[in-house]
Amino acid sequence: MKRRTFLQGTGVALLLPRMESLGQVSESDSPRRLLTIVNHLSFYQPELIPQVDGAIDKAPPLLDELSDHFDHLKIFSGLDNPAVQNGFGHTPCVGILSGYFNKLQRKNRVSIDQAIADLTGDDTRFKSLVFQAGENLNFSQISWDKHGLPVKQIDSPRKIFNLLFRVDENEKMQQQVLAEDRSILDAVFAQAKSMEKRLNATDRAKLDEYLTSVREVEQTVKRRAYWADRSKPNGDYEIKDFDRKSVDDYVATLLDLAVLALETDSTRAVTVQIPFWEGFKEPDLSGNYHDLSHHGQKPEKIKKLLMLEHAILKRISNSLSIMKQRTAGNSSLFDQTTTLLTASMGSANAHNFDDLPALVFDSRVKTAGHWQKKDVPMSNLYLGLLQLFGAEQDRFGESTAAFEVLA
Amino acid sequence: MMRLRLTVLLASSLLSGSLCAETKFKQFFTQYCIKCHGLEEQEGGVRLDRPVDTLLANAELLETITTLIEAGEMPPGETPQPKTEVVNEISRLLQKRILAQRSVNPLKRLTRAEYTNTLSDLFGVRFDLTGLLPPDHVEHGFDKFGETQLMSPHQVMAYLKTARFIAERVLPDAKPKTRTWEFDVRHFHGSKNFATGGGGDYRDGDDYVLTGFRPYRSNLHFSIDPESHDQFAIPAFGVYRLTVKVRSEKSDEGEVIGINLGDGRHPTSFREIRRVPIPHGSKGFSTELTLKAGDQLAFTFDSARVPGQSLKKKEHKGPTLRFSRLTVTGPLTQQWPTAAMQAILPKPNMKPGELVDHLALLLTQRPLAAEDRRAFVEIARRQHKSGAPQIATARSVLIALLTSPHFVYKSESTELTDVQRAHRLSYFLWNSAPDAELINAARSGTLRNNPSAQVERMLNDAKAERFNDDFTRQWLQRDKVDDFGPDVRVFKNVRRMTVDSMGREGRELFRHLLENGLSMEHFIDSDFVMANDRLARFYGLPPVQGDAFVPVKLPEDNERGGLVAQAGFLKLTSTDFATSPIHRGSWILKNLYNERIEPPADVLINEPDIRGTTTIREAILKHQELESCSRCHSKIDPLGFALEYYDPVGRKRNKYRHVEELAAEQEDTTFTKKLKFTEVPIEAAMKLPGGREVRDLPTLKAALMADKERILKGILGKLISYAHGREITLADRPHVEDVFESIAQEDFSLRAAIHAIVAHPAFGRK
Repeated sequence: MKRRTFLQGTGVALLLPRMESLGQVSESDSPRRLLTIVNHLSFYQPELIPQVDGAIDKAPPLLDELSDHFDHLKIFSGLDNPAVQNGFGHTPCVGILSGYFNKLQRKNRVSIDQAIADLTGDDTRFKSLVFQAGENLNFSQISWDKHGLPVKQIDSPRKIFNLLFRVDENEKMQQQVLAEDRSILDAVFAQAKSMEKRLNATDRAKLDEYLTSVREVEQTVKRRAYWADRSKPNGDYEIKDFDRKSVDDYVATLLDLAVLALETDSTRAVTVQIPFWEGFKEPDLSGNYHDLSHHGQKPEKIKKLLMLEHAILKRISNSLSIMKQRTAGNSSLFDQTTTLLTASMGSANAHNFDDLPALVFDSRVKTAGHWQKKDVPMSNLYLGLLQLFGAEQDRFGESTAAFEVLA
Repeated sequence: MMRLRLTVLLASSLLSGSLCAETKFKQFFTQYCIKCHGLEEQEGGVRLDRPVDTLLANAELLETITTLIEAGEMPPGETPQPKTEVVNEISRLLQKRILAQRSVNPLKRLTRAEYTNTLSDLFGVRFDLTGLLPPDHVEHGFDKFGETQLMSPHQVMAYLKTARFIAERVLPDAKPKTRTWEFDVRHFHGSKNFATGGGGDYRDGDDYVLTGFRPYRSNLHFSIDPESHDQFAIPAFGVYRLTVKVRSEKSDEGEVIGINLGDGRHPTSFREIRRVPIPHGSKGFSTELTLKAGDQLAFTFDSARVPGQSLKKKEHKGPTLRFSRLTVTGPLTQQWPTAAMQAILPKPNMKPGELVDHLALLLTQRPLAAEDRRAFVEIARRQHKSGAPQIATARSVLIALLTSPHFVYKSESTELTDVQRAHRLSYFLWNSAPDAELINAARSGTLRNNPSAQVERMLNDAKAERFNDDFTRQWLQRDKVDDFGPDVRVFKNVRRMTVDSMGREGRELFRHLLENGLSMEHFIDSDFVMANDRLARFYGLPPVQGDAFVPVKLPEDNERGGLVAQAGFLKLTSTDFATSPIHRGSWILKNLYNERIEPPADVLINEPDIRGTTTIREAILKHQELESCSRCHSKIDPLGFALEYYDPVGRKRNKYRHVEELAAEQEDTTFTKKLKFTEVPIEAAMKLPGGREVRDLPTLKAALMADKERILKGILGKLISYAHGREITLADRPHVEDVFESIAQEDFSLRAAIHAIVAHPAFGRK
């Protein structure tokens, strides 16, 4: 498949001066970032997952596409989402990142990308960005906020580009609102302070929680004002037309934007979903991706499917390499980013929502390799990731324990 | 001098009293307890060989010890037993201790429901603040407990944003223009891109037809331009009237339509905001919704008959909904300026201080203390000086006040003032702020001296429905009924609206008892149930028409009466495939007996799984062999096992069905995982700690009825803790007993219980 450049220009000096001016971030503390990639139609696992546990000795062909990053890769296979079960076709795919799916009602729980964004999102313009590399919106919602409500997933590269680089017309208004917020917070703090004097010890302790919270919100508002005041990064990037019918093009384009979003520190949590696809058209291949993924073990179908999957993994590998080249502060973008690659189904052919693969790239991984985790909840990995990002909780969804991701 | 000596005397006499008690405790513990709870053994992780004062300062331990000694559960049967007088003496001393340590009732903030209702009532706008205010998480008890309420930066940020959202909407700069939009089949769109043919939604003549065949995708949305797919979006915040011409076809009963917010092409991102039942033969409906700019609407067929088998390429034969016309009108304004604007700005040119005082009083009926108001006046003054119009100044002050402790916290003195009493009552029965009449009754002293007239008025008001709903939602965990499953492959024909009805049954029973002054005994067992069309069919009762619940007299052989027979409870305590006797038993102890049961902290609880085993019973009974477990499990297990004749969705069964999932098989492009069922007999009989055997639902209910006094006191405890916003402990026993005694003459009527709770002197204390 063809390689093509979409975003032109160099990213040099693009990285914004971080929040040092506000005294938020010390130079030694590089921020942690998360890139989550989910392929709805999954991968052909016999060619992705190694036969044995431990160090990757002989990589299966699909996995081999990622060979540049084996030193930092942990592969978990056979994972399960106990609260996501069969039924209703592809719909349970909505629960891949939350570990939850309700067959009868439209509701969900927080997804891992958003749980982590809640931890990392305070210092950046966007708490998180969720992209969708494809136009088909069926069963594609995977990102859920802490209320279990859907997070907007953007499928238009143009819209993403504008969010990252174009000036927002409402900014003036935004400035006014933030200034008013600050004076309001001053006022409520003063009221709480004077009210506190009239309370007994227990109630005072309660109100102290409020006072501390107001102090922290003041910081957040200050940060927002900082971002509203700052112009967006002004790289010499330009967005080019691309082929919306090409899976390869779509994925490459959104991965490029994902890396840019992280590199410009516009956000520290980006999610890219390759959603449900039907018809596609590559220069040397066309067909129906959904249909190919339901290959029925027919070799000619598997062959075509693998061509697509190889292309996708090439793009992912390429993005990881780019992240290694880009430096941010003292280390590379790759060093600061944890990348999770997973799929909504174990196999689209078998239509199962267990036997899930999860690939974690992190430069801090001590022992790279593959571990089969048959019937272990995916949420154990999610909890491990959450703790990696500093969360103090000891449960996530159906978790029974936490993976030691860096071990 | 006199006074000083008196204090010294008093202190020393107290001291000697407690010294004496302390010795007695020490003696008792040494003689009867420390063999197993001491240096050598620490059964259940408890050690009683420590200084008595330190031990009993731990309120939880104190309660546990008291409960166990009083119930004769400790010291255990096989060890030497203390004499009855000794037990009585120790119990009395423990009781005294407990009363002295009555828990405090810390500062409470408004819950999300209270906040929303208060503002809706104040301003006459039905706000939906989902997604703006965080939900209140409850581990146990109620979200009204100050002790467990959390305050966080996230919460404060949400207050600030919500306040701005509200202020901008109740105080708009210009009168919004009301418009009407008409849509018909040309503008209607269904879900697109069905991967496989058959069963989808389609256009048919002048109608758009929803089959609901694919429950997550099937939906109807609409665009202004017939040629484009750009979904209609609400232009500005306000109330909109939707008039929908829709009828059902091939159906012989009422159907239910869902109204959702979201992009119709993206139905997995929908948020359902209303369910509209349409009776059989109905030609359509009209409803009003509060919507905000940018909201997109889509309709779903919520009562669709979703097939349990995989998709087949054939025509849909079941019921459908035919939409032919839709009119949207809004934003509706009855008067201008609106009632809210008049309430907020009753006259022009209010001075900054005047405006602040007026708004503070409007929001909470309490004036701001002089030193508290300065900062708010400053905001108003600054705005005023900068030449901002009065409405902008009012907006700023309103945002500040709504974010401030003055509004978000409830004010309660040690002895409640009359206005505070009105607030407690109002948040109890309306889940909202008091109205003018209640405040007047409070100020005149009638509420304090004779609250019954107000309580009657409030219970008869439509707002009492919020109490029914909120209390039963939390008490019975109604909102968790559909958290899991059912697995549609195993439990075919259990449909969305049936599960929805299960979630409502507990509330309907509560409402019926409350409205008709019926006895709380009906919670334990009853000769009628509350049911609507779907639930009546599910229970196999004589048919009921429509979605509304009505009392249905039970036939002789039907055992559905009482809370423990409700499908909602039976489903809530199960997982997708399996029932959980432990969950069911502990639910009964926690929610009917109001006992405090915590799962052991150091034990990983695996929900027992009936899928796999005939030895589930043995596995669970293992608990009883370990002494640290047996104390609770000897109570929990029999209660739960007696309900094993009811499956995970609350249907009667006489055998377990062991379900096994086989590997996927392919037919054409469809992949199905077949299930294999094996039948296993049920063995439910077990003895309660007192020796009474329970073996099925009727014997269980008889056993609960024999425990009527404890259960009714348990339920009263739930009501009192909801009303007071704090956990009821053993220290409140006299309080609960007072209420219990005072309604004994009235057949333990639920309505009388509410009256008694409000009339009790403790209602007026923090």
